Amino acid sequence: MENAVREKAKGLLTSGEVKVVIGWGWNRNGTRTTPVFITRPEDAGRLVWNPLCVNNLSVYLTRKFKDIQALGRPAIVAKGCDIKNIAVLVSEAQVKREDVYIIGVTCDGVVYRQELWKGELTPNIMPTKCHNCDVRNPHIADCVIGDRSGFVPPEAPAGMVFDRIKALDAKESAQRWEFWIKEFSRCVKCYACRQVCSLCYCERCITEKNMPQWIETSAHPRGNLSWNLTRAMHLAGRCTFCGECERACPVNIPLNLVNQKLITVVKDAFDYRSGYDASAHPPMIVFSPEDKENFIK
Amino acid sequence: MPRIGVFVCQCGNNIAATVDTKKVAEEMGRLPGVVYTCDYKFMCSSPGQEMLKQAIKENNLDGVIVSACSPHMHEKTFRKASEAAGLNPYRCEITNIREQCSWVHHDRTKAVGTVKSMDLTRMTIQRLKKNRPLDKIRIPVRKRALVIGGGIAGIQAALDIAEGGREVILVEKEPSIGGNMARLSETFPTMDCSQCILTPKMVEAELNENIKLYTYSEVEKVDGYIGNFTVRIRRKSKYVDEERCTGCGECIEKCPFKVESRFELGLAKRKVIYTPFPQSVPNVPVIDAPNCPKIQKDRCGVCALVCGPKCIDFKMEDRIETVEVGAIVVATGYQLMPNARFGEYGYGRIKDVINGMQFERLASSSGPTGGEIRRPSDGKVPDSVVFIQCVGSRDEKKGVSYCSKVCCMYTAKHTMLYHHKVHGGKAYVFYMDIRCAGKRYEEFVRRAIEHDGAMYLRGRVSRVYERDGKVIVQGADTLSASQVEIEADMVVLATAIVSRDGADTLAQRLGIGYDRHRFYNEYHPKLKPVETVTAGIYLAGTCIGPMDIPESVAQGSAAASKVLALFSADEMSREPITALVNKATCNACWDCVTACPYSAIEKDAVKNRQGEIVRRLARVNDGVCQGCGVCVAACRSKSIDLKGYTDEQVFAAINAF
Amino acid sequence: MGEHTEHTQTTGNSSEPRIMAFVCNWCTYAGADLAGTSRMEYRPNVRVIKLPCTGRIDPLFIIKAFENGADGVLVSGCHPGDCHYTTGNYHARRRWIAFKNLMEFVGIDMRRLHFSWVSASEAIKWVDLINNVTEEVGKLGPFMEYKGLGAQAVE
Repeated sequence: MENAVREKAKGLLTSGEVKVVIGWGWNRNGTRTTPVFITRPEDAGRLVWNPLCVNNLSVYLTRKFKDIQALGRPAIVAKGCDIKNIAVLVSEAQVKREDVYIIGVTCDGVVYRQELWKGELTPNIMPTKCHNCDVRNPHIADCVIGDRSGFVPPEAPAGMVFDRIKALDAKESAQRWEFWIKEFSRCVKCYACRQVCSLCYCERCITEKNMPQWIETSAHPRGNLSWNLTRAMHLAGRCTFCGECERACPVNIPLNLVNQKLITVVKDAFDYRSGYDASAHPPMIVFSPEDKENFIK
Repeated sequence: MPRIGVFVCQCGNNIAATVDTKKVAEEMGRLPGVVYTCDYKFMCSSPGQEMLKQAIKENNLDGVIVSACSPHMHEKTFRKASEAAGLNPYRCEITNIREQCSWVHHDRTKAVGTVKSMDLTRMTIQRLKKNRPLDKIRIPVRKRALVIGGGIAGIQAALDIAEGGREVILVEKEPSIGGNMARLSETFPTMDCSQCILTPKMVEAELNENIKLYTYSEVEKVDGYIGNFTVRIRRKSKYVDEERCTGCGECIEKCPFKVESRFELGLAKRKVIYTPFPQSVPNVPVIDAPNCPKIQKDRCGVCALVCGPKCIDFKMEDRIETVEVGAIVVATGYQLMPNARFGEYGYGRIKDVINGMQFERLASSSGPTGGEIRRPSDGKVPDSVVFIQCVGSRDEKKGVSYCSKVCCMYTAKHTMLYHHKVHGGKAYVFYMDIRCAGKRYEEFVRRAIEHDGAMYLRGRVSRVYERDGKVIVQGADTLSASQVEIEADMVVLATAIVSRDGADTLAQRLGIGYDRHRFYNEYHPKLKPVETVTAGIYLAGTCIGPMDIPESVAQGSAAASKVLALFSADEMSREPITALVNKATCNACWDCVTACPYSAIEKDAVKNRQGEIVRRLARVNDGVCQGCGVCVAACRSKSIDLKGYTDEQVFAAINAF
Repeated sequence: MGEHTEHTQTTGNSSEPRIMAFVCNWCTYAGADLAGTSRMEYRPNVRVIKLPCTGRIDPLFIIKAFENGADGVLVSGCHPGDCHYTTGNYHARRRWIAFKNLMEFVGIDMRRLHFSWVSASEAIKWVDLINNVTEEVGKLGPFMEYKGLGAQAVE
């Protein structure tokens, strides 16, 4: 399968159909995978595909990486979950579907963190998203490489993230508050969560705007809370639960809980799941006169 | 450092009874940037306003706060006064310390009101510091109007605008103007003949130099905004040169082919080259292309042979015309609900069951029977006629929820016409309620019942069927609590008035709203009955909902007066409360474009000298933007802001809390 | 209610609890004005910020209000279908649904954050709303949890 990816990349670069292939390759020590940008056909052999290929490479399609955009038409090696982000980018006019070649790879799951890899993919080292994945066979792609997965996700979503959300929901609001303030207080405002997210593509992030300065710049609990609430709201209806923000967070704030909570809210309230339909309007900018409003007095 | 003046109004005792205005003024004077404060008995009075002006000049103020009544009362007053003193009017802000403070907190110690007034004033001061001077938006106005629909409402609007000295383009999709009113026989309650009062108006519209008639034409696309609309009109091919045709009618005379007449609602036939009715305006025939053998199969061509001025052209094609107008009046009218839905009344199955409009044609002296009431099946003059009201109206289950409003009146009229034309004929009316609110309307119905002997039966009809050349009507008479069966010669259904097919498509083209019945929404049903939410687009007549002729005419005139008011100046000025895009940071995600309720945001692009697109960004059309701010809250990168309610202003107010 | 003639009863300390209200210009603000012209009386704890439409309200406004020491926040606009801008309140409602759930999830007591529709004619509803919200927030006391974050910020 890895070879098929390399052959495909080589072919695309040789024909000139694309100018760069965005994929995964080994790091210098050969211990972890890292994003690689292949521009010459002879370098296609550097591409790899294995359960360590956890990075969501769709971020490199955004305006945040102008140098990569400058290379010319890209191809991207993408798992189904990565493709969801591409679908959102297309629906938000950040990428034209015809301007990117998607090499979809079928997937049996990836590791939650690369450090956990012991040479075998076992359920306990897979993130929650893999246990509930319904896009192991890429849903939007120009070609699909790999054997078809027969995996059927459980009817009711399961896994640690869902369990923890349920546990939090069951608590008193004061306890939730305590939990989150403790978590957010560790935030150092490094914005790694933002940098790694392909949907946080703003030309200038709200945190960098100072007329007015909505979000306090220094890292302290009040500003941290504002930042994390704002980040969550800005991803509401858009986040695909790829999990990159939490993976990138140096202080391990469980951002997946916030993200998945809002994904569930949006699904329940607006019957919308992001990342499946590149032609749909994101749900937070449209409305239905029938939206439920039992909390509005 | 800003130089702000704070003026606290006592409003006689209205504010001063529960607010220590002197203290509020003093305390505000301590805030940085506030260089002048005072309190005064009546700020809105002439001396008060003079004082404001003088203080601005003497203290060189660059912003003023008036803490007084609601901004809904006197914001305009004080902004005008500020402007007169040389201040930008948007550097004047109002704090509401009356309606939302002194009048609702009755503490006579003044403690509560004073604290709250100070808080509110402080918030306004901080906000004002961020107020940028704004200029009124000026929009050039093209003084030409488009009227869509040539029925009585549209004709009236067009005539009034034309008489006001402005050009009008009147678009009608049928070959003649006149609309549904042209079909009517007599009109209630005066019983004057519809043609007699309508035809002069039609001719007037044709002869008026300010009116251009675009008959047999349809609006395909509308772009732009108030004062500056660009409209694409399809002028369907008539196959007859309008300029040269003399209207002699020779072609119609000689045309050998006949089809069912739409104008006569299937009660008569017409030629394939035709005018809908004898008094058509313009009096130019059109060829019904799908039914013309010459056009379809290149056979015949008699009309061209007999045409004196040689104005028939079988190769003529539709023309697309693009016109620029400053205002649009929509007067597209109504149609009747298809009766096929009401199988129990036998419409379409029993020839002698007709609808009210067909009865109008039977009673019309220019109709298929020359005004004699003869039933369609065998031409017999009916000895008895049953009229059934509320067919589809007020019937949520099978029809529509609303009342069609005119049926009670025209049914009464029908019974009278029938009684006058067929002496000894017996008219029965099944009704739910008789609704005849209107000048001389009640008297009219009483006359039908008492003088002309119509038999009114309160109840519903359950079944209509044929037996031995009679139409049998079974129904209930709830007032005598009995079942009745009437052997009638003819049945007339007062079917519901519904919106026109395609009303929704047109509304979408125009960007105006419509309800679940596809009737168009007024801006405000009571206070702005002929305006729409889209500035520059007005409504008239039954496209809004069922109404009678006087109302339609009144609305046509009302819409025309709105148009003329708009056209009275070369430019219109608008409050500059509109959204503004930050070009440096716009992501071109188009969320604002999708969210905007007015389609006021366009997808724009920055091009380099070679004309290549460098980057894309959103652009607000000031002419269309209404200043709601939905886009601002939708924008994640804060790249769009609302003038007058900017993020900075709101932020400053919250911070002063 | 009635004229403020012999009415001398104080309505208590007007600064506690502190409530910030974001309201639309056309319905709720006008409704509040009507309460004034009708000389109805209500609790003085609310500070109103007028916006053209609830659709203009960014969730950040609410966060910022809490940051600035609000013990409660109220958001109110035109009833669904009555929006002056036809659909602004529908957009707002969508945002509130997401935002309310998020705030609940991070542990903000929902008795501190209120959403309402008040039309221009619903002066009585506005009065009851303010009294109820003030009552409810008052029972909870000052929002020390949030204010505490500020104290930590200063350290």
